[in-house]
Amino acid sequence: MENLKYTEILQLNKALVGTLKSKPYEIGVLSNVTINSLKEVLEYSCRLNQIEPKVEIGNFDNIVQDSAVLKNKDLIIIFYDVLNIVDQVSDFFEDLEEEKYNNLKNKLFTEIDIILENLSKTASVIFNSFSSAYYNNNKVLVSKIDTFVKVLNSYVEQKKTSNVSIVNIDKLFAHIGFKQSIDYRFYHSSKAPYTFAFLKNYVSAIETVLLRNTGKLKKAIIFDCDNTLWKGVVGEDGMEGINMSPNSQSGKFYHLVQRIAIFLSKRGVIVCLCSKNNEQDVLDVLKNHKDMILREEHIVIKKINWVNKATNLREIASELNIGIDSLVFVDDSNFEINLIKEQIPEIITIQVPTAISDYPEVILKNVYTYFNLVLNSDDAKKTEMYKQQFVRENSKTAYSSIEDYLASLEIELTVVKNDKTHMSRVAQLTQKTNQFNLTTYRYTESQVNHFIDDKKHEVYAMFVKDKFGDNGLTGVCITKEDKKDSKNVIIDSFLMSCRIIGRNIEFVYVSHIIKDLANKGYQTLTADYIPTKKNAQVEDFYAKVGFTLIENIDGTNYYSLNIASFEPKKIDYIKIITELV
Amino acid sequence: MENTRIKQVMSAVFEVPVKFIVEDSSTDNIENWDSLRHLNLILALEEEFDVSIPDEEVGNLVNYKLIELIINDLVK
Repeated sequence: MENLKYTEILQLNKALVGTLKSKPYEIGVLSNVTINSLKEVLEYSCRLNQIEPKVEIGNFDNIVQDSAVLKNKDLIIIFYDVLNIVDQVSDFFEDLEEEKYNNLKNKLFTEIDIILENLSKTASVIFNSFSSAYYNNNKVLVSKIDTFVKVLNSYVEQKKTSNVSIVNIDKLFAHIGFKQSIDYRFYHSSKAPYTFAFLKNYVSAIETVLLRNTGKLKKAIIFDCDNTLWKGVVGEDGMEGINMSPNSQSGKFYHLVQRIAIFLSKRGVIVCLCSKNNEQDVLDVLKNHKDMILREEHIVIKKINWVNKATNLREIASELNIGIDSLVFVDDSNFEINLIKEQIPEIITIQVPTAISDYPEVILKNVYTYFNLVLNSDDAKKTEMYKQQFVRENSKTAYSSIEDYLASLEIELTVVKNDKTHMSRVAQLTQKTNQFNLTTYRYTESQVNHFIDDKKHEVYAMFVKDKFGDNGLTGVCITKEDKKDSKNVIIDSFLMSCRIIGRNIEFVYVSHIIKDLANKGYQTLTADYIPTKKNAQVEDFYAKVGFTLIENIDGTNYYSLNIASFEPKKIDYIKIITELV
Repeated sequence: MENTRIKQVMSAVFEVPVKFIVEDSSTDNIENWDSLRHLNLILALEEEFDVSIPDEEVGNLVNYKLIELIINDLVK
């Protein structure tokens, strides 16, 4: 997007208006400078990522008031620009009297407190760091404005709640170049300091927050081999002729990319290979090349064949049971990159740059944008789990009936309730799960925290184990008491990771929850199924459980269940263990 | 050549079809041409033609003819 002109963005964005049918993602922009041109750039970035945006720019220089008015948005972005803060007190900040300085500082502290308090329940907030780069005429001495900005930044850092992400504006200025970021002409005439170059880079910097909040992060990265994981072509240059040595001028960049791939596999990103080669040649390199650090154990699926890559990538997505838009594809060839862009535009493609020294940086920039890199204990085991999944798939055939097969798995569920130790994984699952997800509500960690604290909400988390291995926390259910009828309880969210579907676990899990809700004294239960592009497989889930369909409005099915007459399915091969906290 | 590109920029910024941008288009007859969009127009023209429009001209560019004049002058 950084390479598009503003006019092009306006045109492309306009062409996408109305193409997405989902519920709009509401973004509010609070600012003390003129920032209206951000709107279309931000909208375009959302639409490119299949997010239907609704952007509202708050009133000029009205951040505090707007933080109260717009607090129910899905995302709030705050531009609290030092330029206009300083302009309101002095035209020469360095000579500002001590008393005025302290007054200003205290005023800002108070404002920051109010803003953060108003937005403490907002799903997500982006706050730009304060910058003194505007006044940076001396690079050695510490000026008054430098100190002031430092004090403000550390205040925000210390006061911010967990839903607030901070954008490092100085890094962004450094990346674009200050002169390319700020246009004083329009600051002085219209209080609009930012150039299009700045706005485009800004939006690209916050893209990862948009993806995280809307569950659009990617799940797998697929590497080509020749000239992507090593320099050279193994089929032609042979084992000896390819290079990925950390000690070689050209090999070290490929070495570093392999390091990044390993780093990803440890964080639960699925690493795959897709290469046009003789399979044996590549397997040999993986196994025997002395400089190869990316090995069999890090790789979940290898498609090493002469079939076209679009077919291979489709197969990878279907074998992993993930959406085709969850893939990121890396290749050096123009042909392959364009083929994928054309055939499967939902896949993010990264082409190995011609200036090979840029390669690791290009990969890292994409990795930070598209993947979740927070290490949790489940992620570390994921590569192993995906591999076990294949063992399970393969042993399926040996049993005559699916029930026999399921019984042989020795499945064990552990359900915990309102347990804060798993908050981050619970939020992550609500954000990432698309297929077995009845309502697809996305929650941040701070929202989950709020549910756990709130007496009217219950947050159930399920762990799944079987004889092939431990799947970890893979099921979430959030319920809330009906505001109008305290005997009725509503299932707000019910979802399971795709790793564990097809084993009747959902029926045991939901029965267990219904039993727990009955024990709490609830008499009726209501639940909805909200259809999305990806969750058709759970369309009749509540009907199968025994709920009665009440009505269908705009595709959403509303169900109800009388708890007293509920009869759980007999599935005695799944054991359930409860840890009530 | 420049004329077509100017019209495309104006069309995108003011959200009107290209064919409505004509010789006598001005702030008087394009409804969306307000001060905020004027600013976007100047920045978009600068980006499109890789030129810098002098400060003193920014306020004067209130119709298509004047824009065409200055852009043709700057790209020479």
